[in-house]
Amino acid sequence: MARNRYDIDETLEEKFDASQFKRLIKYITPYKKKMLIALFFMLSSAFLVTFIPKFMQLEMDIYIPDGNIKGIVGLTLLTAAICLYDAICIRIVIQLTVSVGQDIIHQLREDIFHHLQELPFSYYDERPHGKIQVRVVNYVNNLSDILSNGILGTITDLFNLIFIITFMFSMSPRLTLICLCGLPVLFLFVLLIKKYQHRAWQVQNNKQSNLNAYIAESINGIRVTQAFVREKENTQIFNHLSKSYRDAWMHASYYGFAMGPMVDLISTITTAFIYVAGVSYIANGNEFGVSVGILVAFTAYISRFWTPINTIAGFYNSMVTAVSYLERIFETIDEPVEIKDAKDAVEMPEIKGSVAFEHVDFSYEDGVKILKDVNFQVKPGETIAFVGPTGAGKTTIVNLLSRFYNVDSGKVLIDGIDISKVTLHSLRTQMGVMMQDSFIFSGTIMDNIRYGNKTATDEEVIRAAKTVCAHDFIMQMENGYQTEVNERGSRLSAGQRQLISFARALLADPAILILDEATSSIDTETELVLQEGLNHLLQGRTSFIIAHRLSTIQNADCIMYINNGGIVEAGTHEQLLAQKGPYYELFMSQYNIN
Amino acid sequence: MTPMKWFYSFLKQYKWRMFWGMVLVTILVASALASPYISKIIVDDVIVAEHYDLLMPMIGLLIGLVILKGICRVSSQILFETSSQGVIYKMRDKVYRKLLQEDFAFYNKNRTGDLMSRQTGDMDAIRHFIAYVIYIIYENVLYFILALVMIFMINVPLALCMVIVLPLAAITTYMQAKSVKPAFKNCRNAFSSLNAFVQENISGNRVVKAFAKEDYEIEKFSVENDKYREAELNASRIWKRFVPIFELLSYALNILLMLIGGIMVIKKQMTMGDLVAVNGYLWMLTTPLRMAGWWINDVQRFTTSVEKIYDTYSAEPDIKKPKHPVERKKLSGNVTFQNVSYSADDEDILHNINFDVKQGETIGIIGTTGAGKSTIMNLLCRFFDTTQGEVLVDGINVKDMDMYQLRDNIGIAMQDVFLFSDTIEGNIAYGKPECSFEKVQEVAKMADADSFIEGLPDGYDTIVGERGVGLSGGQKQRISLARALLKDPSILILDDTTSAVDMETESYIQKQLENINHTCTIFIIAYRISSIMKADQIFVLDKGEIIERGTHEELIKKNGYYATVYRHQFPEQ
Repeated sequence: MARNRYDIDETLEEKFDASQFKRLIKYITPYKKKMLIALFFMLSSAFLVTFIPKFMQLEMDIYIPDGNIKGIVGLTLLTAAICLYDAICIRIVIQLTVSVGQDIIHQLREDIFHHLQELPFSYYDERPHGKIQVRVVNYVNNLSDILSNGILGTITDLFNLIFIITFMFSMSPRLTLICLCGLPVLFLFVLLIKKYQHRAWQVQNNKQSNLNAYIAESINGIRVTQAFVREKENTQIFNHLSKSYRDAWMHASYYGFAMGPMVDLISTITTAFIYVAGVSYIANGNEFGVSVGILVAFTAYISRFWTPINTIAGFYNSMVTAVSYLERIFETIDEPVEIKDAKDAVEMPEIKGSVAFEHVDFSYEDGVKILKDVNFQVKPGETIAFVGPTGAGKTTIVNLLSRFYNVDSGKVLIDGIDISKVTLHSLRTQMGVMMQDSFIFSGTIMDNIRYGNKTATDEEVIRAAKTVCAHDFIMQMENGYQTEVNERGSRLSAGQRQLISFARALLADPAILILDEATSSIDTETELVLQEGLNHLLQGRTSFIIAHRLSTIQNADCIMYINNGGIVEAGTHEQLLAQKGPYYELFMSQYNIN
Repeated sequence: MTPMKWFYSFLKQYKWRMFWGMVLVTILVASALASPYISKIIVDDVIVAEHYDLLMPMIGLLIGLVILKGICRVSSQILFETSSQGVIYKMRDKVYRKLLQEDFAFYNKNRTGDLMSRQTGDMDAIRHFIAYVIYIIYENVLYFILALVMIFMINVPLALCMVIVLPLAAITTYMQAKSVKPAFKNCRNAFSSLNAFVQENISGNRVVKAFAKEDYEIEKFSVENDKYREAELNASRIWKRFVPIFELLSYALNILLMLIGGIMVIKKQMTMGDLVAVNGYLWMLTTPLRMAGWWINDVQRFTTSVEKIYDTYSAEPDIKKPKHPVERKKLSGNVTFQNVSYSADDEDILHNINFDVKQGETIGIIGTTGAGKSTIMNLLCRFFDTTQGEVLVDGINVKDMDMYQLRDNIGIAMQDVFLFSDTIEGNIAYGKPECSFEKVQEVAKMADADSFIEGLPDGYDTIVGERGVGLSGGQKQRISLARALLKDPSILILDDTTSAVDMETESYIQKQLENINHTCTIFIIAYRISSIMKADQIFVLDKGEIIERGTHEELIKKNGYYATVYRHQFPEQ
């Protein structure tokens, strides 16, 4: 597991290529119609607006010398009509492009989030969470501008350009060719810096991602930071990351800064060439049909030729930036889902509760086996307890049961069905897992418990809370079940959080219940009451319990002592005590305190 | 201080940079105005009047101007961009420092994702404003004024007619700025809330999967995602009304010139040449007007973000360092609670707590879930302030101490273990990043963590995930314990630190704690009797009160709560 942390840049496996740009186009195609309509209005108004300077020319060349005021009024009215049309078009185009742009980033965000939900624990374990978040939220946002305004604007500019080039050709092919000579130079420049520019934005992304990761961690770990008086060092680290981000940003920006002046320079030089060539053609007796009149008229078009090129170059700049975000977004969407439904996966039928591990091997990282050839069988309704030293693989075993990880080899069977052959959803909805780390969502306590079963009524939620002895303390809070708690439930004590996530697991009414250190932070009194409540609830359900307090598990049907990735011994409490093996020793160490 | 003043205090440091940027933009504008003039000379004098000898000098001038323009453009952009980066760098630093000072109450109120948005998206709006919006507006205003001046010089009546659009533009600007602001505020809020949702979903990914609630999360995400889109669309519904108005105002100038200018020329109140000249300047008036609507948006997005950041920044923590703290670098570790009560959100958490602990003593605290055990420790570290009564360390009220010095003397292993995504060594050395590896290893051994760490593929260099994912509960607890021990604290707090550790390990750790080679007051909060029975004093807590106290033997004799728990946990004795 190559883990990443806040000061390590993420590498990018895949090179960006045209195929990924095609994927972006795919996001746009559903809005083809809207885009075409917008394009129509944009082009039509752009076309009509070109008449305004012509009208002005007409007025100055003909109407004024003729003293034709009526004609002027007529032209003015025509111009006013065009302006009105243009204003209306702008409004329509804004409406369409903003909504299409927002729809597209909405869709991109849905897709990336959707995919994230399918990615296994290991994906989340391998990198700081802030780095995942920045992709879903910030990167996608950065695309919105380019999608809505950029693309249509560029299309309009391209049309303008074609329009102008045709016009120029009709005037003087020779001069037009000279003018066009500037373009390859510009292309060359763009190609030359492309690699560096792209790379620079990638670096910038990485730095942004690092900074984001560090901010997220700083906020989440604030208690530790304050307790350990680490404010100074953290500020230093933060500023260091912030500085790298700033430098990377500046570095990437320089390329963009060069673009505009470069276009200007090339355009001026080609214009100069046209002047020189034009003058020499004229001197040579209107060579290539270049006359004074044509040269003068032609020069008026040169600037109009370069204006759209300038905006397209600007678009290209933002495109390079966008591409660096896009490749990260697509990389996430393409992240292979290792744990997913098999092609021919079936629904897990209603679970009766027999569980078997057959020759199960498992490792998180290649070469470091956590479980070696684990075998056991559990009958429906039995309660199984796992004990053993920390890090022996107890949590791993129960994680395999819910298929949070895939086994390396061997089989996990529930009711005789290999769990890799059924859909994840049908499997996991029938399991109730209470994890070591009890996570509380921000929302009311009611919502948090109901997370286990969205259809549960308030009464059912309260009943579950009562079963786990959480009712009393919940009622003592200012708004009872409606009390708002926030992520990590920092208003609640660890024990209270455990009780809430316990209630959550119970409410799911699972066929198989897994309690991983469910009661480690709960006092003995409460635990006793809890156990009583649980006893009848556990009847008919298979349950797996991991606990260090042996009092919690003595009544289990079978206790398995796990060490070094395997089951060392198994049996009831009495059997194991009689064996005088490791369980016996553990038991004695716990009870023979003196 | 208002948010804008606060913002200005950052910008102020770059005022010279901004000033020179503006100067360069001014030169840029001047040279941009000069180039068409040179082109005109080339056409009129060189081509039409056939003064070919002028051609090369003029072209030289043209290229010279473009180079000058390019230099001005690039260097002004660099000046503005570096100013903007400088401002947000300083601002981020300030906000970050403030976040580190905020107390727990603040973090209970604010969601992580919200706070993150302040440091990311909102900062970006400020960057955009300084790096781009300021100069683009300045440049265009400059064009606008120059053009207006020139038109005034050419023909006053015509210029006066054109000035009519100005008050209209001002009114539109005002209306747009006013009406679009709340909409952008909504956008920022929706963005923030989307960010917060995603953040939680990522943090809680294990629970989501365990309950197979992916579909439900996607549904909820869609709601947030929709809300954000809706907010942006709503904002666009407002500003899209104004952008065409500016468009119309800018066209009004074309129309005015066409109609009035034309008639004036016919009526001989103006020459044809003047009309041509004014027509040549017209774009300098129309372009700024046409773009005004967009820039107003940018400005308002910027002010919204400044306000949001300032809002977060200006939240003052209740727990602050006193003005004249009692200096005490090294504390001995005598702890006294005098009539301490604490309540939060109308809930009484602690009630009239009194105790006196001498340096070097070990105190066990046991009690029901939610009885207030951790709160006592939070008061001792001054994460909270007491509602009533006093917490004294070495006879000094903690409120009178420099809390950083106080906390420097306390090593705490928290109930909820948080590890940073850093190497294990980095995590253990969190409180003393400069300490030697030997020291790290020594405390890891004391916490019985050394052996499993060495068993990991990269040993102490293994990177662990946030919240320590990848390690078992017991392993995380031991790292957290080692982290606390490394500080050589005068007061060591173990808040439920061995709950996920097996018994053998626990007794090993206890032996190590007895051998700490400096005087250290130890508080152990636990549910297991075995964790605390050897303590010099044991407090039993229930509903915020100490209901029993004494040594293990005394409490057993008392036959109260403690004795009951003992019998449950050790039925054979």
